Amino acid sequence: MATATKPVEDVELLRRPNIPSAEVRLPAVKDYEQVDDEITATLHPTAQWFIGLGVAILFLVIGALAWTYQIYTGLGVAGYNPPVMWGVYIVTFVFWVGIGHAGTLISAILYLFRAGFRTTIYRCAEAMTVFAVMTAGLFPILHLGRPWKFFWLIPYPNWRYIWPQMKSPLVWDVFAILTYLTVSATFLYIGLVPDFAILRDREKNPVRKRLFAQLALGWRNTDREWRHFVRAYLFLAAFSTPLVLSVHSVVSFDFAMSDVPGWHTTVFPPYFVAGAIYSGIGMVFTIVIPLRKWFNLKHYVTINDLDAAAKLALFTSLVVGVSYACEWFVAWYSGSPAEKQFFANRLWGQWWWASALLYTCNICLPLSLFSQWCRRNTTWLFILSIFINIGMWFERFVIVVPSLSHEYEPWQWAGYRPTWVDYAILCGSFGWFSMWFLLFIKQFPVIALTEIKEIVKPRLKFRHAQGVDSTAHPLPFMPDTPGEFD
Amino acid sequence: MSTETESKGIKRRDFLKVIGGGAAVAASIGCESDRVEKLIPYLVSPDNTVPGVSTYYATTCRGCAAGCGVIAETRDGRTTKLEGNPAHPVNRGALCSTGQAEVQALYNPDRYRSPMIRKNGKLVAAKWDEALKLFAQKLGETRSRGGAANAVFINQHESGSFPAFLDQWLADFGMPAHVSYDAGVDTEAIAAHTAAYGVAWPRFDFNAAALIISFGADFLDGWGPSVPQQLDWADARAKLVGAPRLVTVGARRSLTGLNADTWLDCKPGTEVMIARALAGQMPVADAAQQSGVDAKRLQAVVDEYHAAKPALVLAGGHIANSAELFAAVTALNRANGAVGTTIRPDQAFLGYEGIAPEAQLRAIGDRMNSGAVSLLMVRGANPAYTMPRSTGFAAAMKKVPFKVSFASIMNDTSEMCDLILPDHHSLEQWGDAEPVKGTLSLQQPTMDPVFDSLATSDVLIRIAKGDPATAAKYPEPDYRTWLIARVPGGEEGMRTGLPTAIVAGSALARTAPRPALPAIPAAPALASTSGDMFLFIYHHPVLGDGRGANKPWLQELPDPVTKLTWQTVVEMHPLTAAKMGLDNSDLVTVTTSAGSLTAPVYLYLGIRQDTIAIATGRGHINAGRYAKAGENAYDLVPLAENAAGGIALVSTRAKVVKAGGSMLLATTEGSARQHLRDIARAIPVGELGAGAEKHKEPEEEHLPGDASHEFLPGLRSPVANDAQGDFGDPASKDLGMYNPNHWSNMAKRRWAMTIDLARCTGCAACVTACYAENNIPTVGADWQTPQILPDRTGFGANITRSREMAWIRLERYYEGGEDGSADFETRFIPMMCQHCGNAPCEPVCPVYATYHAPDGLNVQVYNRCVGTRYCSNNCPYKVRYFNWFGYGEPHRPQYAFPEPLNWQLNPDVTVRGKGVMEKCSMCVQRIRGAEHRAKLENNRPLRPDEFTTACAEACPSRAITFGDAADESWSVTRLIKDERAYHVFEELNTFTAVVYLKKVNHPSPATEPAHA
Repeated sequence: MATATKPVEDVELLRRPNIPSAEVRLPAVKDYEQVDDEITATLHPTAQWFIGLGVAILFLVIGALAWTYQIYTGLGVAGYNPPVMWGVYIVTFVFWVGIGHAGTLISAILYLFRAGFRTTIYRCAEAMTVFAVMTAGLFPILHLGRPWKFFWLIPYPNWRYIWPQMKSPLVWDVFAILTYLTVSATFLYIGLVPDFAILRDREKNPVRKRLFAQLALGWRNTDREWRHFVRAYLFLAAFSTPLVLSVHSVVSFDFAMSDVPGWHTTVFPPYFVAGAIYSGIGMVFTIVIPLRKWFNLKHYVTINDLDAAAKLALFTSLVVGVSYACEWFVAWYSGSPAEKQFFANRLWGQWWWASALLYTCNICLPLSLFSQWCRRNTTWLFILSIFINIGMWFERFVIVVPSLSHEYEPWQWAGYRPTWVDYAILCGSFGWFSMWFLLFIKQFPVIALTEIKEIVKPRLKFRHAQGVDSTAHPLPFMPDTPGEFD
Repeated sequence: MSTETESKGIKRRDFLKVIGGGAAVAASIGCESDRVEKLIPYLVSPDNTVPGVSTYYATTCRGCAAGCGVIAETRDGRTTKLEGNPAHPVNRGALCSTGQAEVQALYNPDRYRSPMIRKNGKLVAAKWDEALKLFAQKLGETRSRGGAANAVFINQHESGSFPAFLDQWLADFGMPAHVSYDAGVDTEAIAAHTAAYGVAWPRFDFNAAALIISFGADFLDGWGPSVPQQLDWADARAKLVGAPRLVTVGARRSLTGLNADTWLDCKPGTEVMIARALAGQMPVADAAQQSGVDAKRLQAVVDEYHAAKPALVLAGGHIANSAELFAAVTALNRANGAVGTTIRPDQAFLGYEGIAPEAQLRAIGDRMNSGAVSLLMVRGANPAYTMPRSTGFAAAMKKVPFKVSFASIMNDTSEMCDLILPDHHSLEQWGDAEPVKGTLSLQQPTMDPVFDSLATSDVLIRIAKGDPATAAKYPEPDYRTWLIARVPGGEEGMRTGLPTAIVAGSALARTAPRPALPAIPAAPALASTSGDMFLFIYHHPVLGDGRGANKPWLQELPDPVTKLTWQTVVEMHPLTAAKMGLDNSDLVTVTTSAGSLTAPVYLYLGIRQDTIAIATGRGHINAGRYAKAGENAYDLVPLAENAAGGIALVSTRAKVVKAGGSMLLATTEGSARQHLRDIARAIPVGELGAGAEKHKEPEEEHLPGDASHEFLPGLRSPVANDAQGDFGDPASKDLGMYNPNHWSNMAKRRWAMTIDLARCTGCAACVTACYAENNIPTVGADWQTPQILPDRTGFGANITRSREMAWIRLERYYEGGEDGSADFETRFIPMMCQHCGNAPCEPVCPVYATYHAPDGLNVQVYNRCVGTRYCSNNCPYKVRYFNWFGYGEPHRPQYAFPEPLNWQLNPDVTVRGKGVMEKCSMCVQRIRGAEHRAKLENNRPLRPDEFTTACAEACPSRAITFGDAADESWSVTRLIKDERAYHVFEELNTFTAVVYLKKVNHPSPATEPAHA
C-alpha cells in the first residue's frame, strides 16, 4: 500500500548492541501509558504500608532511646570490653556503608557498561544507597565517647588554628562518607527529575503537585532538556564510578592503616570494595524481591534481571572468597606469631562460631548461584540474600572484634559481649533505614519511569524492526545465552 | 548645661539612678543561691601554708605493725599522697600498697562522722560530751560493781608509747592490761623467732645468703615487714651473678613463691618432712614420698642446701604443726650458720614485739560467752571478723553488757558495740613508733581532722581527768604533751625530730615491760578433717586480714598472684578442675567442719592438685560500702591452734562440690602466656657475659624493625614534625618548641624509664602509687555498673569487662608448666604507656588529642579527646584506658570518689570526664613541677635524678628508674645501656621510651632445666 512504510533501512540499527528491547525483556509492558499507570499506582499508601512504617518508626524510637540513655550514662552501657574498643557500632557502620555501594554500582557503573538489567532495579538500589549511607553516617558519631564534639573532626576555621589530624583515617572517613552521600543523593535526584515531571502532570492534590513541580525543576520534556539530562546523567555516572571504589577503600583504611594483627593488610581496599558490592546486591535482593511482589511489578523486574544480578552476586562472592584466602595466606606467610595466632584464634578459637557463620553465608551458600534454577528461584534468592546480609554483618564483626580482642599483648586479650544497648541501636539503624525507604517508595516511583520508557516501544503507527539483515528483513533477537529469554 | 533642656519628665540622672538601683535589686534577688559559700582568702596564712603549694609532713605509717616512715604531701590543708620517707631506716623511701592506701582510710566515706550511741538497738549520732559522759558513767558502773578486773581492752597492735600509756590508764582504772592484737601477722613465726633469736622479727639479710629456702613464708608480700624485706631481697637479686637462689616449699605459690627459682609443692602440713630431709634427719626418698614432692627435685635442693653456706631458711603460713616446722627450721638455720649472718636479731624490727596470739582472743571470747566480761573496749582491731566463726568470738560479744569501740572507720566489731568514740586516723593524731632499735619514729597530724573524731589517747586523758581518783595522775592537757615529755630531748628533741619524724633513742626503754599475758589452755584438738581437698587459707596480700577491704584502691588492685579484684575465689589447679569438670568462673561450694562458702573457681597453676586456696580479707558484713565484696574465708576455718596459740588457717580438708552456675571473674588477666611475643624476657645468669659480647657487635645496617637503644632528644617522631609551630605551614623552617635550641630546652630532653625485671617482684605497689598520684578512678564497686546492664554481676562487674583504669599494670606471665607441672617460672612485667618515639596512637587520632611533646612524651589532651578510641586500638601495648562512665561526676552512681574520698584528689591532675581516653603521662605534672621549680631557682638546670615518677618513688624493689635519657648525668642513661636492656615489641618500630632490663634466671645447679 502507498501508506506502507518501507522496512527500516537505517544502518544505525545494525550497529546497535545486542540489547533486548522491551518486547523481549519486558514482554508484558506494552506502552507508555501502562508504564505510567502501573508504576504510579504503587504510590498510593496502603494499610500494610502504614503498619510497616509504624514498625520501622518503633524500631527507630527504640534505638533513639537507647542512644539517649547511652549519651547520658556513658559509652559503658554498650558492651565494650577493652581492648575491644570498637564493637557493634563500627561493625554496623561498615555494614551500612557496604550496603550503600550496590546502588551506585548498579546505577553508575552498570550504566556505563550498558548492562540492561539495571534499568528496572536501579532506582531502588540508588535510594537504598542514599539511605544506607545516611544510616552509616550516624554510627561514627554514635560510637564517640563525646558525640556532641563530633564536629571537631571537620576542618572548620577556628581561632585556635586547630585542624584535624589529616593523617588519621577517621578524618578521611569524614570526607569519603560526606562526598559519597552528596554525590549519590545528587545522582538519585537528577535521575528523578523527569519522573517528577510525570508525577507533577498526573497529580491532583495541589500541595503535592506544587511540591513535584518544584522538584521537577520546570521540566518540559523538550529535546534540549533531554539532551542536557542525558549528558548530566552520564557525567554523574562517570563521576560516581571512582567513588564506589574509593569510599569503601577509605573505610578499609580505618583498619588497614593500623597496626592491629588482622587489620594491617594491603588486601583490604579491594576486599572491602568487593564485599561492599556483594552485600549491597544482597540487600537489593532483600528489598526488590518482596517489592516486586507487593507492588505487582513482576513484569518489570523480571526473573531475567534477577538472574543477571545474581550472577554479579556470585562473582563478588568469589572475589570475597579469594580475599579471605589471601588473608590466611598472608598471615601464614608473614611468619609473625601475632598474625598467625590471631588467625588461628579467629578460625578455631573463641570466635570460631562467627567465622563459621561468615564463611557459610558468604562463600558456601552463594555457590548455589552456579545453578540457573537457584538464580531464577525468587524464594531462594530472597533467603540467600538474608544469609548474605547476616554473613556480611558478621564479616565486619569478625574483622573488628576478634582482631581487637587478640592483639599483641596477650595479657590484655579479652572477649566481647554486646549488651541490649548495642542491639537496640542496631535495630534502630534498621528502623531508621526502613523508615526512609518506606517513605520514599510511596512518594517516588521505585522504578524509573523514563528509563523503562526508553526500552518500551512508543505507540507508533508502524513497528520498527528489531534489526535487519542485509536484505532488510527483520532479524530475530539473538540472546546471549541460548534459552535465556524462553 | 542640661538645665537648659527643661524636661517635664524624668531626668537622665534620675533615670540612671532608678535603673541602676533596680538592676542592683534585681541582681541581688535573682542571683541568690541556695548555697551561700564563703570565699575568704588567708589574710595571714597559717605557717608553712602557701595556697597551691604542697607542704610535706614526715610521720609514721600505721597500716601494719612494721612502722614505716612516710611523708605526707599536704596541700591547702588536705593530705593527698603518702610517700616513703627516704631517711627512715625501715622502708628507706619505699612504700607498699597498704601504706599508700592509708589516705583512703583517712578520707573513707564510711568513717564515723561523730560519736555514736546505741539507742533502741540502733547506733545514732551523738555529741562528744554526751558520749564521754556515757563512757565515764559505764566505767564508773563497772568499777563500782567490782567488774573492772573483768574489763577487756583489745587494741590494734602498734609499737611506740601508746600501748604503755594505755596500760597505765587501764591500771589506773583497775583494769587488766590490754590485749595487743594483730590478725595480719604470723604469730607463730613471732613466737618461734622470739624463742630462737630473742626478737620477734629479726632482719633477714638476703644479700648475705647463698641460698634462701622459704617454707610458706611470703616475705615479699605480707609476711613481716614487706617493704624492707623487698628492698633487701631486690638488692640481693640485683647482684645478678652470685645472687641467692630462692627455693619455696608449700602447697601454694604466693608472691614470694612466684619469685622463687624452685618450687617444692609439698602437701600442706608436710613442710616439716622436707625440713627434716634438709637436716639429714630423714631420708630424702621418705620425705618426698610423704610430702608428695618429686624425689629428684627434693634431692637437688638438699644437695644445693648442703653446698650453700650460709643459707637462710624461713617458715610461716599459719599451718597447724608449725611448732615442729619452726623447730626444724631454727635447727637448720643454726646448723648452717645463718644466725648472725643472714638472720640479724641485732637489726630486728621491733614493731612486732608484744603481739598477742589469737588464743588470747579466743580465751576472751570464751570469757565473754560465759558472761564474765563486764566491759569490752576495742580500738582499731576487728576481731568480730578476723576471729573465725568457729571461735565464737562475734557471737560471744553479744553477751557483753557494754561494748565500746574506738574505731575510726566502721567495721564488723564496732557495729556491734554500744558506744563508738571515733578515733582520729593516724594521719590526724600524735604518736610514735619504735620500728628498729635506737630509733623513734614520730607520728604527727598532717591535717585537721576530717570528721568530728577525737584521738583515743586524748579521750582517755579526758576521762581520767574527769575522774577524781585519777585526775591527779594526768596533769598533761593532752596526749601530745604527754608524748613530748617522753621523747628523747623533750620539746627540743621533738622539734628537731619532726622534719624527718625520726629521733634517735627509745621511748620503749622507759616504758614498763608489758605484763605477761595469762596462759591460755590449748584449744580442743580438731575433731576430724574429712574432705577431698586440702584447704589452704591465706591472708590476702593487700587486704591483709580484711583491714584494707573498705579501701577501693586495694579492692581494685589485682592480687599480685591471682590478679583478681573485688571477689573471693577458690584457687584450683587446672588439672584438678578438668577432672571435676570445672572451668574458670564456675561456682563451687567449699565445706569444712566450720562452715561453707560458695565462690567461683580460679584456675591457678601454682597450687598443688590436691589443694584449694582461698584468701581472707573480703566478705565483711558491716565494714563499709566497699567491704561487702566477696566472701569471708574465715568462716571456713575450724578451731585449730598451733602450739604458739595462733589460729592455724591451714589445718583441714574441705569438701568441694560443684554449685552449678557461674560468676564472671573480675580478673585483669588475659592470657598468662606470652605466645612467643617475648614481652617479659629473661636471661640465665650464666649467659650474662656472653650476652654483653653479642650486644657489642656493631650493627651493620639499619634494617626495618631494628630500633636501637639510642635516644635522640626532641624530634623523633614523624608526628612531632607536624605538631610544630607556624600552624603547620610546610614551607616554614620554624620548628617551634621542637627546635633543640628553643629557649624552653624541651626538645633537648627525652624522658625515659628503665624497669629492671631482675628486681621487680610484682608486688604492685607502683599501681597503687599511680592511682594515688593520678586520680585514677576505681570502677569495680557494685553500683558503678549501671543497674540496667543485663549481665551485671555485682562487685567487679566493670572489671569483668576489663574496664579497670590502672595506668600501670603488672603482667604475670608463666613460662613452662603447660602440662600442669610445678616446674614453671613466673615473669612479672609492669606495663604502662611506653611513650613511643614513633607512637602508633598519634597519627590515628583525628583531633590531635594525642600528640608528641618536644621532650619525648606522648601527651594526651583530655579536653580535646572526642573518644573515637582509635588510639587504643592502635596501641600494641594496650595501655590506654577509656572513661566509660562519668567516674568523676558526683551526681552519678559511678562516681569513684564519694565524699570525702575526693579530698584525696591530686590538685595537679585533672579528673577526667566521661568519654575521654587517658593513660600514663609519666607523671607529667611532676616533670613540669620540677622544671618550674628549677626555673624559679635562678633558672638553674634540672639536677640529675632530681625527681621521679610516683611508681618509681613507691617501688619497694627499686626496679623503676626514671629520667632524661638525653642527659648522661641521669642514672637512667646508664641503665639503658645495660646489656639486659630491651624494648618490648621493638619490631614494630615504636622507639619506646620505656626500656626493660631482662629478668635474670638462676637455674638450679643440679638438673633442673632453665627456661631461658
